[in-house]
Amino acid sequence: MAIRMKTSSGQDTAPTHGDTVVQRIASAVPGWVWWLAGIVIAAGFPLLNVIGVVETAWLRVGVVSLIFVLLSLGLNIVMGETGLLNLGYIAFFAFGAYTTALLSSPKFEIRWPFLAVIVVSTLVAMVAGFLISLPTLRLRGDYLAIVTLAFGEIVRLTIINLVPLTNGPNGITGIYSPRLFAGAKPALEGIEAWFIIDKPLEYYYLVLVCVVVLAVLLTNLKNSRIGRAWNALREDELAAISSGITAVRAKMLSVVLSAGIAGFAGSLFAYYSNVISPESFLFMQSVIVVCMVVLGGMGSIPGVMLGAVVLQALPQLIREAAGAARSDFEVYRMLIYGILIVVMVIFRPEGLLPDKIFKREAHEVDPRELEMTRQSLFDLEEGEKDLGV
Amino acid sequence: MEPVLELQDVSMSFGGLKAVDSLSFAVRENEIVSIIGPNGSGKTTTFNLISGLYEPHSGDILLKGESVAGLRPDLVHDKGISRTFQSLRLFSNMNVLENVLVGMHSVTKAGPFASMLRLPSVRREEKAMYDKAQEILGMFPGRFSGPRQLQPAYSLSYANRRRLEIARALASDPVLLLLDEPVAGMNPAESHEVMEQIKMLREKGYTILMIEHDMHVVEGVSDRVIAMDHGVKIAEGTYDEVANDPQVVEAYLGKRAADATA
Amino acid sequence: MSFDHIMSVTIGGLTVGMIYALIALGYTMVYGVLKFINFAHGEVFTVGGYVAAFSLLAMGIDASTPWLKVAGAIALALVAAVTVPMALGLLIERIAYRPLRGRSRIIPLLSAIGVSIVLQQLIIIVFGPKPVTIPTLALSSASVNLFGVDVRVLALVIIAVSAALMVGLTYLVKSTRIGKAMRATSQDMEAAEMMGIDTNRTIAFTFLVGSALAGIGGLLVVMYYGSLKYDAGFLYGLKAFTSAVLGGIGNIPGAVVGAIVLGMTETYGVSVDLGFLAWFVLAGLALGIYVQMVRVPNRRLAHIAADRRTPEYERSIMNVYRLAPYHGIKTLLAERTDALLSVSAADAVRLMAGNIFLAVLATIMFINSSVRIDTRWQPVIAFVVLMVILMFRPSGILGEAVTEKV
Repeated sequence: MAIRMKTSSGQDTAPTHGDTVVQRIASAVPGWVWWLAGIVIAAGFPLLNVIGVVETAWLRVGVVSLIFVLLSLGLNIVMGETGLLNLGYIAFFAFGAYTTALLSSPKFEIRWPFLAVIVVSTLVAMVAGFLISLPTLRLRGDYLAIVTLAFGEIVRLTIINLVPLTNGPNGITGIYSPRLFAGAKPALEGIEAWFIIDKPLEYYYLVLVCVVVLAVLLTNLKNSRIGRAWNALREDELAAISSGITAVRAKMLSVVLSAGIAGFAGSLFAYYSNVISPESFLFMQSVIVVCMVVLGGMGSIPGVMLGAVVLQALPQLIREAAGAARSDFEVYRMLIYGILIVVMVIFRPEGLLPDKIFKREAHEVDPRELEMTRQSLFDLEEGEKDLGV
Repeated sequence: MEPVLELQDVSMSFGGLKAVDSLSFAVRENEIVSIIGPNGSGKTTTFNLISGLYEPHSGDILLKGESVAGLRPDLVHDKGISRTFQSLRLFSNMNVLENVLVGMHSVTKAGPFASMLRLPSVRREEKAMYDKAQEILGMFPGRFSGPRQLQPAYSLSYANRRRLEIARALASDPVLLLLDEPVAGMNPAESHEVMEQIKMLREKGYTILMIEHDMHVVEGVSDRVIAMDHGVKIAEGTYDEVANDPQVVEAYLGKRAADATA
Repeated sequence: MSFDHIMSVTIGGLTVGMIYALIALGYTMVYGVLKFINFAHGEVFTVGGYVAAFSLLAMGIDASTPWLKVAGAIALALVAAVTVPMALGLLIERIAYRPLRGRSRIIPLLSAIGVSIVLQQLIIIVFGPKPVTIPTLALSSASVNLFGVDVRVLALVIIAVSAALMVGLTYLVKSTRIGKAMRATSQDMEAAEMMGIDTNRTIAFTFLVGSALAGIGGLLVVMYYGSLKYDAGFLYGLKAFTSAVLGGIGNIPGAVVGAIVLGMTETYGVSVDLGFLAWFVLAGLALGIYVQMVRVPNRRLAHIAADRRTPEYERSIMNVYRLAPYHGIKTLLAERTDALLSVSAADAVRLMAGNIFLAVLATIMFINSSVRIDTRWQPVIAFVVLMVILMFRPSGILGEAVTEKV
């Protein structure tokens, strides 16, 4: 039966004083119109390049932006839905990228098929997520954040130092382009029997399709039993557990899934860039993705997508306009990101396109939270059990 | 007929303080048993022991003959024990319907991949969950109808929030329902209404263990009453028996009052 | 493994450890009072170092300057290294942390991260991306012969100065009014307020002291190494935080102990062979077993009710130890086993996992006893320590000093 149960209104039905006029107009327009508009704009954008209005450099910005959209969608699961702060998220991105680089480059002289490489890269990242979550999910929020930071740095330093495997600081070059649909084209003289993806335009559409599919899948997940369990854990872990939610399993699922998405994005990134080096996986990159999620709106799928695009594309626009030097620009870019995080968190923690659930949660002072600041690392009181959550 | 819940000599201490001392009692099927006692007598600790938040240092807790002492709270919930909280722990930013749906988490099984793809099995399960939620919310007639179901829980009145917490606990068809001060903070009209609703739950076949201070409600719904003081059970019986027990009077009002009634 | 080598490695480890301690104290005090990790603390340290360095550069001293003028320049640099970070710390607390008190967990942490990023970029903008270097002073290269080993004077200065500061801080916290206010606020902020303590000022003061110590740490680092990079704060900050957790967060002596342990571990880790280090791992294993055989059962024994132990139960335990020669030993072993058996399966697995991990590690290290860890891997050591301590003993060596709720 094709009844779409409305378990959520999609917008705040209770009027809150934070709503601006723009928001009220925006909520009057049905959701699917915005999605359609977004897809049309995103799909039409490269055509501007084809007809010569926009330079190819902007197409490249678009591809990277879309890859970061994947990343922020992934981080949103663990940070937005489940409420766990991951400061080493880029490590999973690195796992995916390096796995792809090792399976499809001159480094070891192998060239696995595109699909196999992507799947394996995603799985490797998921395994990494599983392993890191095993011992650390019991920790309190701030400690989990620091542990993830440490994990991210360990991964990066290992990549730099394990030269025989990763080429160290020089990185891996010459990653082969993906070949799709082997045998689809007739094997004529001089023409290869497959489609090769090696132009920015082709990558753009490839990643765009992935983004759209992922957004749909994640929206479904958000409105399902699992998504509700994650939100419940974020709101009140004790009540969630007492209502039958196995915290460790749900959190682990969230970490592993988000790691997989990062690995997937990393794989696409490696293919697109042809060259990867540890420089792309600094702690700063993790912070940038965090900033994207915070700016866009934690827990809000359209929000984090917007946050990613804004924080990737806008700086490029500004740089073009200002004509600033590369290194100066980087410094000011990070400065703005930092200020943005602080300002957003103080004045508008629900982000640009708020998830209706998160909006109030972020603003209020939770008396239980004040209470919890008196508790120990594992939120245990004398005699209370370690719930392993 | 074995009791639904049985506590056998359950004890637990916090450091040097014995919070619960050799507590034993049973709750039979379709009974409503109330636990009363002054503050600090160990009532909520008992609830926490039953629901898995604490682990008893000795003794056993049996649910339909099966030991559940020391199990994790989510496993205890799986076995069939649901509870509400004295301090009201709703998911305030989720709406009414979602709160109830979360309560059904352990009796549903849609996995992540099936949910992402919205397979027909998931859609069927969601529809069933939705219908069941309507049924449960319907137990509080007129309180949770129509658009109110999509309103965030923080926007509800206090009394409705307490009702919603009960609804969430009912969502998983619990074998045993633990109500921790269900009418705390309510005016007489509201507590009377909740009292009728608890009676209605008994008619529907639920087994309820309740902590309550409002003696009017305790008297109105309980089949049996257990009185605790300083972690020890000091009286057990019908409301009249317990209310007049000198030890109970002494615990609440002091020795002179007990001597006066004796 | 000569004595000289050990001596110089030990002094080196102690020196670096004391620097970590100065920074760690800031983390631990703020956590004790606010239950909050001040992520930006590392950058405050860097600012202190940069300000000190520029002040020294501005005075135009070098190896040939008379020592009186050098002393004056250092004094000035000290003033700068203390005042600027203090002001910075106050500003950060007021602007970025105070508005967020009590909000849901990740919100203040996000703010701290943002502040840290902003500070780091500002350092680059104001001071330039290149590391700041100070000219070599006579003091920098001076060394003293201690027990037949050449030790840098600066190393001894760092150890002495840090120790003095720690003594001063302990006095401050234990014996002054403001110290008492700090302790009260960290135990129960509401109650402290009701007793008339201005918690806002107390918290500000905590930030003040922590930042001052970090600033001094920056000055010492600049003098010891001769230069400072803009991103030093990240690594130093993380290592200092690891030290604080290692010793027990919120615990002031703990931060010092943790810092020294970390400094030693880091320095020894890359300066001696694995075979030597393996002995330390074994020591850790022994300590772990001691804790499990003595301290865990002691806790458990207190909880086991006497009436649970029926005669049959006691007899079955005793049967296992029939072979033990003396009744006293039998009883002791029986009690311990009894207590251990009552540990939950998950706890038992965890305890055993730690033991097995250490045993395997020690074995591997003994097999490769002549291998030495390359200095490239040194940063990893601190991160690994952090993860290990948070996974196996998050309350730290001396136990965390955050309050239990009654």
